[in-house]
Amino acid sequence: MTTAAIEVEKLHVGYGSVAVLHGIDLAVAPGEFVAILGSSGCGKTTLLRTIAGFQKASAGAIRLSGRDVANLPPEKRNIAMVFQSYALWPHMTVLGNVGYGLRLRGVPRAEARRRVSDLLKLLNLSGLEDRKVTNLSGGQRQRVALGRALAIDPQLLLLDEPLSNLDAKVRVQLRSEIKALQSRLGFTAIHVTHDREEAMTMADRIVVMDAGRIAQAGAPKEVYDRPNSPFVASFMGADNTIDLEVAPAVSGVAIRAGTEPPIAWSGQAPFGRVTAYFRDDVAKLDHPGARVPGAIVLPGRIAQRAYPGGHYRYGVAIGERHFTVTDDRYLDLDTPVGLRLPLAQLHLFPSAKEEGGSYGSI
Amino acid sequence: MPRPSPLGLLLVAPALALVAALFLYPLGFSLVAAFTAEGQPTLRHFEKAFELYATDIRFTIFIVLFSTVLIALISIAIAGVLTLSETPWLIATLRWLYRWPLFIPFIVAAQCMRTFLAKNGLMNNTLVAAGVLEPLQAQSFLDWRGIVITFVWKQVPFVTLMLAGAMASLDRATIEAGRNLGASRLRVLVELVLPQVSQTLLVGLVLSFVTMLSVLSVPMMVAGSQPTMLTVDMAFRINAYGDYATANALGVISYAMTAVVAWIYLRHQVRREAEA
Repeated sequence: MTTAAIEVEKLHVGYGSVAVLHGIDLAVAPGEFVAILGSSGCGKTTLLRTIAGFQKASAGAIRLSGRDVANLPPEKRNIAMVFQSYALWPHMTVLGNVGYGLRLRGVPRAEARRRVSDLLKLLNLSGLEDRKVTNLSGGQRQRVALGRALAIDPQLLLLDEPLSNLDAKVRVQLRSEIKALQSRLGFTAIHVTHDREEAMTMADRIVVMDAGRIAQAGAPKEVYDRPNSPFVASFMGADNTIDLEVAPAVSGVAIRAGTEPPIAWSGQAPFGRVTAYFRDDVAKLDHPGARVPGAIVLPGRIAQRAYPGGHYRYGVAIGERHFTVTDDRYLDLDTPVGLRLPLAQLHLFPSAKEEGGSYGSI
Repeated sequence: MPRPSPLGLLLVAPALALVAALFLYPLGFSLVAAFTAEGQPTLRHFEKAFELYATDIRFTIFIVLFSTVLIALISIAIAGVLTLSETPWLIATLRWLYRWPLFIPFIVAAQCMRTFLAKNGLMNNTLVAAGVLEPLQAQSFLDWRGIVITFVWKQVPFVTLMLAGAMASLDRATIEAGRNLGASRLRVLVELVLPQVSQTLLVGLVLSFVTMLSVLSVPMMVAGSQPTMLTVDMAFRINAYGDYATANALGVISYAMTAVVAWIYLRHQVRREAEA
């Protein structure tokens, strides 16, 4: 097995008496692009800052290609970081900013200028060497910040929400540019973001964090399709929930939603009372009385309709609850419909409140 | 542009009148008095001022410039520690200590320095008691060095306060980006932090320069009579001889020194604005 580019072991970090990270274990292979995904306050930026050396770990190890750097100051770690606020030095030109790391390493002036100019070409910033960074647009600034970090040929590149200050169009463009640069130059990267799509499109592997712990790590598709907890499921976009009852049946299980008749299903599910998490795009509209193998159909009616472009978005009322569904057809308000939920695409987790006993058998 | 309303003018009138009566009129009067004798224009007073006080003019320029340089260095050091240090107790102690001289008037500071810097003063006694100095080696600092020490002691907190404030309001990430790329804290301070707060440092130093140029009590109390600073000479011309003309000429020379500094500041400001 090759040595991990960066390995974090049982890392504990706190601010004063408040513990923020509770034993993080993470290894990133050389050339891998890992996205750390989590909501604000989950500790993802703290993890990044601890790896960079701006935050002291209270326990645990940080190994960079096998070398423990936990006690080294940030300037000795050879890890480059790209900041959310760009953090460019306003008194310097583009050349000054991008070439600063080279200057610190004693690279001769002409050589530094050549390397900076090569890098700027990669970043579509050719010819801007002598421009003041205060005269650049947001996207250009973040490219300069990226160039500054890459100029020192770092062992590891840390990206701290680098795209969140940019407008949507530039953000999408820079996403693919960063990804292309990474495959071309082959650096190892850890990218912190709260934007699911950004993490999904850029990373080889996603690490979802929750309250200072890693909730799940895996390939984007794996985490998206098979979340291992209600938290990950709802973070990956499965915000809709519905309570179901699962009982063992002759072949597979029998699943019942409320007072509807039970549906036989050959898939796997925890027995008892479960909560199903699903994304908007999983649910489909059908006839109220339709019976579809491998799916439950809940009767309801159209309560809202909107046209965001391309398709209609309906609010379907079932009892007192509302679910959002997209469909290509035009339907009038109050039309009775069936909300079809394919069981294989639901994420089923035992309900938090177990009431015990009455659902064990049919 | 909206026309100034008469009510607004009325509201600022008392302030304007005060400035005119207490500043513009005396300034104009002293300028005129410096360049005239018995109603005729003349440079006689300046000739006399240079003849008698050329050494003191040089002495004043030296003291104020040297103090300004020391103030700059020490303020940068203290503000740098406050901004970049990772030792919490050091920051807390320094932050608590450095401001005290701000609340002590020049005259009290001068009086304290007299007892502190004298040949058998507190400083030498401490050094002798600590075995650093033999009693015979002890010497008085109550000369130009005493003036510089008092000025620096008094003005460092002021400049540090401005500088540390400016450094604290920088985007912290610009400091971290430097360290991240491999810059030591000293390089971060000199190459990344200072250039971003140079404007504030310049303002602090200009204000200190002008303040030091106008202090009478410190050179009078701390140092002997020769050489001394222009403020003491002006007081002496008036108190001993009633010689307002020469005193005014010395005053104009002081204005000129201030004007040079103000010009440097304004030029810097204009260049910055042109760049922005």
